[in-house]
Amino acid sequence: MFNKKKKRMNAKSMARSLVVETNPKSVIAEQFRTIRTNINFSMPDQELKTLLVTSAEPSEGKSTTAANIAGVFAQGGKRVIMIDADMRKPTAHYTFHLINSFGLSSLLTKQCTLDEAIKKTDVEGLDVIPSGAIPPNPAELLASNRMDAIVEELSQKYDLIVFDTPPILSVADAQIIANKCDATILVINSGGTDKTNVLKAKESLEVSKANIIGVVMNNFTLDKDHYYYQYYGNAE
Amino acid sequence: MEETISLQDLFKVLKKRFLLIVSITVAAMAIAAIISFYFITPIYQASTQILVNQKASEQPTIQTQDIQTNLQLINTYNVIIKSPAILSKVIENLDLDMTPGQLTDKITVTNANDSQVVNVSVQDEEAFRAVDIANTTATVFQNEIKTLMNVDNVNVLSPAVLPENPSPVKPNKMLNIAIAMVIGLMVGVGLSFLLEYLDTTIKSEQDVEEILDLPIIGLVSPIPDKMQEKSVSTKRKSQASSRGEKVNV
Repeated sequence: MFNKKKKRMNAKSMARSLVVETNPKSVIAEQFRTIRTNINFSMPDQELKTLLVTSAEPSEGKSTTAANIAGVFAQGGKRVIMIDADMRKPTAHYTFHLINSFGLSSLLTKQCTLDEAIKKTDVEGLDVIPSGAIPPNPAELLASNRMDAIVEELSQKYDLIVFDTPPILSVADAQIIANKCDATILVINSGGTDKTNVLKAKESLEVSKANIIGVVMNNFTLDKDHYYYQYYGNAE
Repeated sequence: MEETISLQDLFKVLKKRFLLIVSITVAAMAIAAIISFYFITPIYQASTQILVNQKASEQPTIQTQDIQTNLQLINTYNVIIKSPAILSKVIENLDLDMTPGQLTDKITVTNANDSQVVNVSVQDEEAFRAVDIANTTATVFQNEIKTLMNVDNVNVLSPAVLPENPSPVKPNKMLNIAIAMVIGLMVGVGLSFLLEYLDTTIKSEQDVEEILDLPIIGLVSPIPDKMQEKSVSTKRKSQASSRGEKVNV
């Protein structure tokens, strides 16, 4: 029985919860709407087309944050596409319950067309490109010219492209894409991320000339002085 | 990077680790209680008083000098009582299974300031044995001193008696528990500050601002399991109904 429960937890933990869709009135959904507003405010002059979500260490909430941010922007009336650029430990197809046969890796290796890679989701206005089969050389694929061309093409079709990426300190993937993106969001697991690691992550992003617009603090237990979140959002 | 700690921060740390501090304190008290109630053998004490007084010789009146001499004698007697010469006889008389050295540790000889009364206290695991040792020591000493110093100036003032319900002097349970409580409290507070100091993770918005110098664009609360459960199940259902296909998650 113990084993069974563990197994079920594993299957569930692969899928990141899309709170903004399942619990649109929850406090957490409200928090993501605040993030959407803040992202809009942080780039008043230039148009925000490509947004990268990353973090210093693994399992800090990148995929959850990326999926939910993509969700709230779609709910806000934008045409959004989320790309699972984490080709080492992909999760987007679990989150959105898609089939990961064709995706970014197939697209970059010209095994499928763009239309084949783009998957519709239950969220209105939100499409997803899953990772595709796990390739041996994700960093090279992401750095290729083909990647630039795909992003260019997608930006014609969509208002916003959200990238979910691997952790910065583990592999170079995030740095490569950050260089090409308009804005980068650093996810920090409060109480879990080491200060020195975050600093290193920030430095590597700065080296790759990423435009870090801010930090999302994940797993943040609200104090009493944050009552206004509780006040406006309902628990369910 | 300069770190200043305000009083509020200290209280916050203590409040956060309140459970840790309380549990360490309670655990320390429990351990002290268990040890003093079950593991430390109780030790009983018995004491007898000896009066040292020079027999009046030529002078019919007691002079100050005599008392002075007696007082100085007492210092000598203190040593003599605990000497193997006396103690080996005590062991012999009582048929004890110990060496004079071990017996010395059980006997304390004190005399009140400038008085001729010597207090012989004996501590032992058995109440009756403590009384026996105390009394035997006094009598043996009284007899021996005659041959040792050629004087007969020692009297047993009050022999030790065995009370009806002897209560042990050691361990002092309440004191032990109180000490354990204070130590536990100190360890708990120390540990909580140590943990706080060693915890190098980012916890608050201030941390982000101080270290990264980046704006915070949002805070996300921990997503409860309840919501995750719901998300998976509703998703599954909606997907299955809308597309009529099976999804293996």
